[in-house]
Amino acid sequence: MDFSSTVASQLHAGAILPEGIVIVTIMAVLIGDLIFGRSSSRWLPYLAMFGLFNTLVALFFQWSNPNAIAFLGSFNGDNLSIVFRGIVALSALVTILMSIHYIQQSGTSLAEFIAIMLTAVLGGMFLCGANELTMVFISLEMLSISSYLMTGYMKRDPRSNEAALKYLLIGAASSAIFLYGMSLLYGLSAGETNLNIIAAKITAINGVQSLGLAISLVFIIAGISFKISAVPFHQWTPDVYEGSPTPVVAFLSVGSKAAGFALAIRLLTTAFGSLTEQWHFIFTALAILSMVLGNVVALAQTSIKRMLAYSSIAQAGFVMIGLIAGTDNGYSSMIFYLFIYLFMNLGAFSCIILFSLRTGTDQISEYAGLYQKDPLLTLCLSICLLSLGGIPPMAGFFGKIYLFWAGWQAGLYGLVLLGLITSVISIYYYIRVVKMMVVKEPQEMSESVKNYPKINWKLPGMRPLQAGIVASAIITSLAGILSNPLFTLSANSVATTPILQSTVITQEIPQNIIHVSSIEDSKSEVN
Amino acid sequence: MLSFLLWLPVIGASIIGFMPGKAESGQLRQITTVFAVVTFAWTIWLLTQFDITHSGWQFAEYLPWIKPIGLSYSLAVDGLSLPLLVLNALLTIIAIYSIGENIERPRLYYSLLLLINAGITGALVAQNLLLFVIFYEIELIPFYLMIAIWGGEKRNYAAIKFLLYTAVSGLLVLAAFLGIGFLNGVVSFDYDTISTQGLSLTTQLVLLSVLLVGFGIKVPLVPLHTWLPDAYTEASPAVTILLGGILAKLGTYGLIRFGLQLFPETWSIVAPGLAIIGTISVLYGALSAIAQKDIKRMVAYSSIGHMGYILVAVAAGTQLSILGAVAQMIGHGLILALLFHLVGIVERKVGTRDLDVLNGLMNPIRGLPLTSGLLIMAGMASAGIPGLVGFVAEFIIFQGSFSAFPIPTLLCIIASGLTAVYFIILLNRTCFGKLDNNLAYYPTVSRSESLPAFVLTIIILLLGIQPNWLLRWTEPTTNQLAVDVYHTEQVAINISN
Repeated sequence: MDFSSTVASQLHAGAILPEGIVIVTIMAVLIGDLIFGRSSSRWLPYLAMFGLFNTLVALFFQWSNPNAIAFLGSFNGDNLSIVFRGIVALSALVTILMSIHYIQQSGTSLAEFIAIMLTAVLGGMFLCGANELTMVFISLEMLSISSYLMTGYMKRDPRSNEAALKYLLIGAASSAIFLYGMSLLYGLSAGETNLNIIAAKITAINGVQSLGLAISLVFIIAGISFKISAVPFHQWTPDVYEGSPTPVVAFLSVGSKAAGFALAIRLLTTAFGSLTEQWHFIFTALAILSMVLGNVVALAQTSIKRMLAYSSIAQAGFVMIGLIAGTDNGYSSMIFYLFIYLFMNLGAFSCIILFSLRTGTDQISEYAGLYQKDPLLTLCLSICLLSLGGIPPMAGFFGKIYLFWAGWQAGLYGLVLLGLITSVISIYYYIRVVKMMVVKEPQEMSESVKNYPKINWKLPGMRPLQAGIVASAIITSLAGILSNPLFTLSANSVATTPILQSTVITQEIPQNIIHVSSIEDSKSEVN
Repeated sequence: MLSFLLWLPVIGASIIGFMPGKAESGQLRQITTVFAVVTFAWTIWLLTQFDITHSGWQFAEYLPWIKPIGLSYSLAVDGLSLPLLVLNALLTIIAIYSIGENIERPRLYYSLLLLINAGITGALVAQNLLLFVIFYEIELIPFYLMIAIWGGEKRNYAAIKFLLYTAVSGLLVLAAFLGIGFLNGVVSFDYDTISTQGLSLTTQLVLLSVLLVGFGIKVPLVPLHTWLPDAYTEASPAVTILLGGILAKLGTYGLIRFGLQLFPETWSIVAPGLAIIGTISVLYGALSAIAQKDIKRMVAYSSIGHMGYILVAVAAGTQLSILGAVAQMIGHGLILALLFHLVGIVERKVGTRDLDVLNGLMNPIRGLPLTSGLLIMAGMASAGIPGLVGFVAEFIIFQGSFSAFPIPTLLCIIASGLTAVYFIILLNRTCFGKLDNNLAYYPTVSRSESLPAFVLTIIILLLGIQPNWLLRWTEPTTNQLAVDVYHTEQVAINISN
């Protein structure tokens, strides 16, 4: 009886080594906090960052893992998941850099915050590779519940409380809808939970299209679009972004969103491979609404956090173009854009954090005349915002070009044109902030800038923030020009991912069948 | 060699922008001048190395960049872009000296100036459509900041208007290029691999009209011109020189390079329409200029008119008319720069641009005799008086376009008479008459202020007397261009027969 060892060898537990490192780090952070108390906050964030760095290294060595399917098919460690897990981990790494001073200044415990953040990362990373319904839901909930906690972390601030409540109610409801969709899927496929098997079984049992399948698809999309804040499911975004602690917003806008997109790709291409046309249609509608509403409503915002909330809705609309294109280029442009988006958005949020730490406000009008008092902040925020607007030669321009090019190749002319038009609208509101900072004369300076404190980088937690800002500004300005490695990475991850390649092949099969049958027809005619 | 031309100003801009310590305005101006002069010298050297018997690309450089989207770092010049490169380098130097020595925030100003130079150079030498778009859009933010920071009273409005119009122009061009690139079938945007020959006529028409609107905003053509008077009037003289002198030329350059050269078959279909729009632009510009009370606005509208001639010439598409179009681009760039520079001096010294207030500047002792003398010269050049470069360009255009579009050409000739009308109004109200004794205590014009005007006047005069120095670089290229267009038109007709 060597039963246990065969099972153990089939588990391929090595595939979740990166997540294992995250778990160990969480434990270390929590226990360190218990043993050493408040004094531990001097080194705990660095420990967490070290853990996340090791996670990234472990992910690097997982590339093209031959034993990608782990835990009896419930976790898929393919290259697609590696890329998305990398984005999630990297976004947490940068978020911790910028949260050290912010959380400490608020008088709350830093270690608890980091532990919750790492739990969210863990959930997000598992979500990127989850290949089984239960696993999908558990990791989704892990991400969501930690996000609710982080949103309401400033428990003395009524706005943070309100945001947490709002996020919790909408999030729990959307999870329930998502769960209902998954339970339908389980029933329709006669009791399968593995995504790959579901696809085969469903078409065998129900035929290609059935009402049950359609309902299940819609319910699942409702859950996914909540995470990526696509338009009819976006209402939480502006309020939550405004109320929550800014580092949390930064993580939600990148890490949580990337996990949502990873889930969308995996779930929709495998389980709903037979309904491609339908979900393409739904996502086209979502993309149109997100691009238009996100960009137009952002014009009218006075708070920069709210403006970035609407901008992140709009950016999700741009990324959806890649998803709808459904080609190799489409998926890889999504990955490329999300990578770049990570640095642009986190850079912008870091600058906002720095500004609000020094002045205590995040109204756009209060940025007037900042260039005189803080040129570094002005430069970095301008670079990140212009990159978000897609101005060359910043990284965002190349990301958008690639998305639009992939969309154009797939024949989505209308979507691409809408994307181009809404990018012009977006330039207007991004440049409004740049105008406030750069163009205003010294005598037009706002009150908070007049009383701007002397810049002191020596305060605890300020150096990491500075490092985060400078690094993201440099990466944002150079990642476009030197984007070849990143292009290769995203293209490779798509090209070497079996699930995506199989969907491309299944799309081509019908043509082959027609071709073969026509040959047979001609043969029979000859006979 | 072209890379050097492109990257030198960028290096200069970063040195000025990130130079540690507090820098004096004058010191920064000197550094900028050094970079601008070296760039100019380099273009002159390119001019001497340029093989004028050869009509194709020269000094080509190629580096693969981002393969998946077909973007490559591919540069080259031909007779069409080379003169514009020289103009760009020259006007950058002029722009440095057409603003007062002590400006606010000199660091940002001079680095933006050099960035603009690099961006325009890049757009002119780019041999890859996406690379062109990158440089075309790079101009957006520096120009926006230039107008919004160092502009007149309504600068915010003008700057935003300019930004939005130009951004729309950029996206239309990008959309058309994506269309061309994708329908072409090959994942490459390199100019030489792009060809529209295989496309259906309707597709070509759609792509071409998108391009026309895109570039038409920048030129600007008449229904798309409304950003221009605001932007030109509110911007400081130096910025206006760059805006009108060279940025607008990117629009006409794009029309020839990407409209005429990429769509030779379809061009003949849109050409009559373009000629009409061009004529309307010419007439509209001239008539609106007559109605203005502000000298800067007057010159701004005159610019719309003069760009209209180029459009008529490009629409005609004959060997002579395309040559005339290039000559007009250079001529107009020089004349506009001179005019705006002089208007800037008048505004700074006298303190007003209002035609009803200005008077008697020719007064040799208390007026601005030198400035007004040069202003008369510039007005004459702009109105097309023989012996100056404006006449040469306009005459070639008229002669070249007459065979293709006789009536639009005649109307253009009439409009060139109207040009003389408003310049006479302008000169009459500003230079002649009597000085107001209570107000006329003007500061003297320093030598560094009047020197750029002298240089420009001499060039305008020289090229007017010896136009071959202007035309010899371009002639083989434009001849080849017109032959290509003519040839494909013939082929298209033969096929349809």
